[in-house]
Amino acid sequence: MPGLIPASAVIKPAQPRESPLGLTLRALLRRRSSRIAMIVLGVIILVGLLAPFIAPYDPAAQPDIVALKDLPPSLSHPFGTDPYSRDVLSRVIYGARLSLTIGILATIVSLTLGVAYGAVAGYIGGMLDAIMMRILDAFLSIPRLLLMLGVLVAWPHLSIGALVLFLGLTGWFGLSRIVRGQVLALKHAEFVTAAQALGASRRRILARHLLPNLVSPIAVAATLGVAHVIVLEAGLSYLGIGVPQPLASWGNIIQDGADQVARLWWMSLFPGLFMVSTVMMLNILGEALRDVYERRS
Amino acid sequence: MSATARGGNGTAPLVSVRNLKKEFPIKKGVFSRQVGAVKAVNDVSFHVARGETLGVVGESGCGKTTTGRTILRLLEPTSGEIYFEDRDVRALGTRDLRALRRDMQIIFQDPVSSLNPRMTVGAIVREGLTIHKLAEGAAADARVSQLLQEVGLRPEYATRYPHEFSGGQRQRIGIARALSVEPKFIVCDEPVSALDVSVQAQVINLLEDLQREHNLTYMFIAHDLSVVEHIADRVAVMYLGKIVQLATADDLYREPLMPYTQALLSAVPVADPKSRKERIILSGDVPSPASPPPGCVFHPRCHHPAKDVACTKIVPPLEEKTPGHFVHCIKQPPTTVSWEQQKEVGGVHPPERYLPLAAVHA
Repeated sequence: MPGLIPASAVIKPAQPRESPLGLTLRALLRRRSSRIAMIVLGVIILVGLLAPFIAPYDPAAQPDIVALKDLPPSLSHPFGTDPYSRDVLSRVIYGARLSLTIGILATIVSLTLGVAYGAVAGYIGGMLDAIMMRILDAFLSIPRLLLMLGVLVAWPHLSIGALVLFLGLTGWFGLSRIVRGQVLALKHAEFVTAAQALGASRRRILARHLLPNLVSPIAVAATLGVAHVIVLEAGLSYLGIGVPQPLASWGNIIQDGADQVARLWWMSLFPGLFMVSTVMMLNILGEALRDVYERRS
Repeated sequence: MSATARGGNGTAPLVSVRNLKKEFPIKKGVFSRQVGAVKAVNDVSFHVARGETLGVVGESGCGKTTTGRTILRLLEPTSGEIYFEDRDVRALGTRDLRALRRDMQIIFQDPVSSLNPRMTVGAIVREGLTIHKLAEGAAADARVSQLLQEVGLRPEYATRYPHEFSGGQRQRIGIARALSVEPKFIVCDEPVSALDVSVQAQVINLLEDLQREHNLTYMFIAHDLSVVEHIADRVAVMYLGKIVQLATADDLYREPLMPYTQALLSAVPVADPKSRKERIILSGDVPSPASPPPGCVFHPRCHHPAKDVACTKIVPPLEEKTPGHFVHCIKQPPTTVSWEQQKEVGGVHPPERYLPLAAVHA
């Protein structure tokens, strides 16, 4: 079998160089929906980061609880004031900071747990996997809201750290399922066998070959996870075990106005709008990521 | 004489395998009760001499890939012996096995799934150097460049990702990865089956060049006899987990004594429009390796005129018909299973030499 084609004819790259991360970003920017989502989220994150510079008032200050309470939106208070005379706009701005931080931190906690648990179960497999998955089934069968009510009864005054931990600790079950499934599918891929044949340790295979290939499903889960935590935090605030006063989170601002929505509509509407758009944009972004990822594989 | 006893050129074999078996349990029900086993490799013995290329051919599912991976202990054998040089491969602990991995490498069939999509070409080729502490830093970079050049790729490609390359280029990357640890023995698991014919030739030529330069020993797995004919010194034909013929490439093509090999050879296309070749069409499908037929595994599909009930009763030994030419068939003389023994179990046709393709492939 003589080589009929000169080697130089075939030895050239098919496409210009690009990392997988770069490809994903470019694909996200190409779609209008995910582009808009990224811009809106970017603005909200900026608002949160720059809160002390852009908030017109101190979010906890109660300048005049008689004269300045329950004011409808006006030029000096664009989002109105609450029954304690606090400026709702300033609270919503600071609320962006707190709600996003809680969402991101809690998601980091559940990602870490979920990835570790799922990866170990899927990679080691066998008996251990079976036992770990049954334990997971048990966790999954407890409704998250029921757990919350239990926590409410046990510790009525959760600190923010405890709240983040609680949200994180109850949010990793689904993700660890996904991770386990992916690891199970990937661990017999030939590049994993190749690493084994080179003499790579289990830890190396997990860290270098399996986990990097889970970035896409993890990114999807993280994006949707942040959205979910933000909604949950609002739910907890509604139940009275969310972020403690006088701190402001979107959830507890909505709650402040919830009793008199008809009269003090601005108190729930503005933080609600912020929360809904954040959650919606996160979901759009998550779906787009999933789509990009599925189209590629 | 057993198939492992003779070294190809008088020296001790590099790899020898005796009575290798690999079964995959079939499990069922809640408690994973074992209800059977797929006998992927069923009592296989052979050796690979230093510097030679042993071709292994057979249809998909015949156990050739499993054999290769079991030798490398990427799969744990069920029973049997595997020796690499003087090391008992099955007895090695984690640390010794890792050391052995430097000497034995594998090249894969699928150019897509055999490269980690999240690693650059440089990182892929470099991994073996890191694991075995062969080089680091700038020395490792230099070695990666050298390896890439050796397989016909530009050193600049080290910073690119696998998806940017064609099938043939990806196979070259896989070859560079295997070469990085300076192995003595490489299992080539259908390295060209997924490639275009023109690219196949280039990759095979590359493998041959590398073999010469680095004094490599290959176990070359393929399902295509014409590919193996070109590269192999000796060829083992596998069917349903067994080696049914093992001979030098010349002998195998000139004298395919095993009826199964005859059928395989008759399926190789000949690039001559005038050649009116006799075809042996096998009837039926390959039986399930979970319940291989008794006696000779090939008997349900065999076209040997002397086939009879003895073939269903006696498991044919892989026996030497002419020097260095081993065949698994009690109907091709000479055989150690005497005619009397065959008659005893109900045989009616005495062994008879049958070589329908001799003229075609002379």
